[in-house]
Amino acid sequence: MIEVSHLTKRYGSHVAVDDISFTVDDGCIYGLLGPNGAGKSTTMNVITGYLSPTSGTVTINGHDIQEEPQAAKACIGYLPELPPLYTDMTVREYLNFVAELKGVKKKAARAADVAKASERAGLQEMQTRLIRNLSKGYRQRVGVAAALLGNPDIIILDEPTVGLDPAQMIEIRSLIHDLGKNHTVILSSHILSEVQTVCDRVLIISGGKLAAQGTPEELAARLAAKGVISATAQGNKDAVLKAAGGVPGLTDIRVTAEKGDEVSFTASSTEGTDLRAALSAALAAAGCPVLSLSSQNLSLEDVFLQLTESDHTADAEAEEQPVDGQMSEPQTATALNTDASEPSSEPEAPGEETAPDEKEGD
Amino acid sequence: MLAIFKRETKSYFTSMIGYVVIAVILAFIGLYYSANCLIYGTSDFSIILYSTTLVMLFVLPALSMRSFADERRNKTDQLLLTSPVTIPEIVWGKYLAQLVVFAVPMAVACVMPLILTFFGTVSLTSAYATLFAYFLLGASCIAVGTFISVLTENQIIAYLATFGVLLVAYLMESVQSLFTSGNTLAFIVFCIVLAVAAVLIGLVCKSVTIGSGVFCGGAVILILLFQLRPAWLLSAFNRALDALALFNPFETFVGGMFSLSTVVYYLSVIGLFLFLTGQALERRRWN
Repeated sequence: MIEVSHLTKRYGSHVAVDDISFTVDDGCIYGLLGPNGAGKSTTMNVITGYLSPTSGTVTINGHDIQEEPQAAKACIGYLPELPPLYTDMTVREYLNFVAELKGVKKKAARAADVAKASERAGLQEMQTRLIRNLSKGYRQRVGVAAALLGNPDIIILDEPTVGLDPAQMIEIRSLIHDLGKNHTVILSSHILSEVQTVCDRVLIISGGKLAAQGTPEELAARLAAKGVISATAQGNKDAVLKAAGGVPGLTDIRVTAEKGDEVSFTASSTEGTDLRAALSAALAAAGCPVLSLSSQNLSLEDVFLQLTESDHTADAEAEEQPVDGQMSEPQTATALNTDASEPSSEPEAPGEETAPDEKEGD
Repeated sequence: MLAIFKRETKSYFTSMIGYVVIAVILAFIGLYYSANCLIYGTSDFSIILYSTTLVMLFVLPALSMRSFADERRNKTDQLLLTSPVTIPEIVWGKYLAQLVVFAVPMAVACVMPLILTFFGTVSLTSAYATLFAYFLLGASCIAVGTFISVLTENQIIAYLATFGVLLVAYLMESVQSLFTSGNTLAFIVFCIVLAVAAVLIGLVCKSVTIGSGVFCGGAVILILLFQLRPAWLLSAFNRALDALALFNPFETFVGGMFSLSTVVYYLSVIGLFLFLTGQALERRRWN
C-alpha cells in the first residue's frame, strides 16, 4: 500500500508536481496517465526515493520514504524511464548484481530468483549476451526482470512499453497482467489503450496536478454522460445556431465546418439523454433541413484529452480573445471551456459547467 | 555494499582502464627501480617512490573520473539510489573498488625491495613504511577524484578538474615559498576569502543583511588581528596552505621517519572527501 499525501516537487521555480494526494491499494494495477511533461516520472521518482519531495510525504507499506528509506525501498521494484543498465555486463551478471543489491544474499536463492525473473521476462536465451549488444526491446525486458528481483510487493514501471514492437508490447502487457495477481503494480503511460486494457484504476495527471482518478469505465462514464451530437444542416449559420440553441438541454454548440450553405456543428447534451430527435425537429421547424445527424460516444481518450488539454486551451483562448466568439478553431473543440461570448449559449450553461469542474478538482 | 564493490572492481578489469592504470604505474616505478636500484645500485627504495609521485597526477584521475560521472550519464545511479542500500555504502563500495585497482601495482612493488636484499643490506622497514604512505597518498588522490566525479556527468571534465586540483596540491610547496614574508599579503588574501564566503553565505540564506553582517564581523576581527598580532595572520595563512599541500607529508616517510601525523592527515583527507561525496550525492536528490 502506498500513500502519497500533498506531494509537491519543485525544480527551482518550475513546479513539476503540485500537491498530489492518492492511495494505492494492494493487489491492483494502477495506471498513471498523462501527456509528456505532466509529472508522471517525477511522481514515480519521488515514490521510489530517487528524488526528495519539496513537501508532502510518501509512505510505502507503513514506511516513510524519507524516514526509513531502506525499509521502504526494499518493498519496491522500479523500472525507470530509461532502464538503468550497465552495458558492459552480461544479462546474467547484471541480474545477479541487482539481486544482490536488493539483499538476496545466498547464492542459490539468487540464482533461483534470477532464473525466475528471466523466465517471466522471456530472457532465458539471452543470459550470456552482453547488454551492450541487446536491442531496445530486450534491454527493456532486462529492466523489467531487474524490477522483479527480490520479490518486491510493489512494482513500479515507468512507460514499460516504450520502444517495443507490437508483439513485445502485448507480451509485456500480459506480463503486467500476470504480475497484478500477486503484486501491486503502478505503471505510467501516455498510451490510452494500454492503460484501458491493463489497469484496474487510472490516475490522470496533467500539469503536475491530479486531474481525475477512478476505474477506466468510471472515468469514461463520467464524461460519456455528456453525449456529443454532430450534425450538418442546410441554411444560414445564424439561423442554424439559433435553432439548435433553442433545444433545451443542448449546450456548447460549436461550428466545425461551413461549406456553401451547409453548416456542420457539434453540440453536447447532458444527462445522457438523446436529443437527436429534438434537434432534428427544431432545425426542421426553423427551415434548415438536416443533412446528417449522429451521436458520438466518448472514449477514455476523449476524457483524457478533455482533462489534460483544458490548460492548453485556456491559454490559447486567452491569447485569442479578440476573435470574438468564433468557435471554428480546432483547438477550442473541447467541451470544458464554454465561454460567455458564445452567442447562442443557453442560460443553463453555468449549471452544466459545474460537472466537469468537480472532476477537475478531485 | 559488497555487490557494488564487486561490480565496480570487475568493471575496471573488463574495460581497459584498470589495466592501463596498473601498467602505467608499474612502468614508471619499474623504470626508476631499474635505473636507480638495479643499475646505479642504490639500496634506498623510498627514493624511487618519491620520484614517481608525479605519475599519480596523470593516472589516478583516470581511475576516479568514471566512478560517479558515468553512472549519472547512463542514469544507472537511479538503480543504486532506489535500491535498499545507504549512500555511504554506495560511496564506500565504489571507493574500495578503486583502491583494489591501485593496490595491484603496490603489491607488485612490494617484491622490489625483496629483490634488492639479494645484493646487499636493505632497510625493509623503511621501504615498506614508505610504500604504505605512498598507498595512502594515492588513496587520498582517489578520494579527491571521487568527489570531483560526483559533481559532473562528464568524465573528461572530471579528469581535468581532478588533475588540476592535484596539480595545485603538488605545486603548493613552491607556491607557499612565495609567502614567507609579507603580513599585508596574508591580510589581503584573508579579506578576499572572507568576501567570497560572505557572498556565498548571503546567497545561501538569500539575505543581504546576513551576508554583509558576516563580512563586517569578519573584517573587524581581521583588522584587529592585523593591527595587534600581524604575525598570527601570516602563520595561519601558511598553515592553511600547508593543509592543502597533499604531497608534502609523504616526504617525511621518504626521509626515513614513520610519522603518525602523516597517516592521520591522509586518513582525514580520505574521510572528508568521501563524506563530501556522500553529501553531494544526497544533495542531488533535492534539486
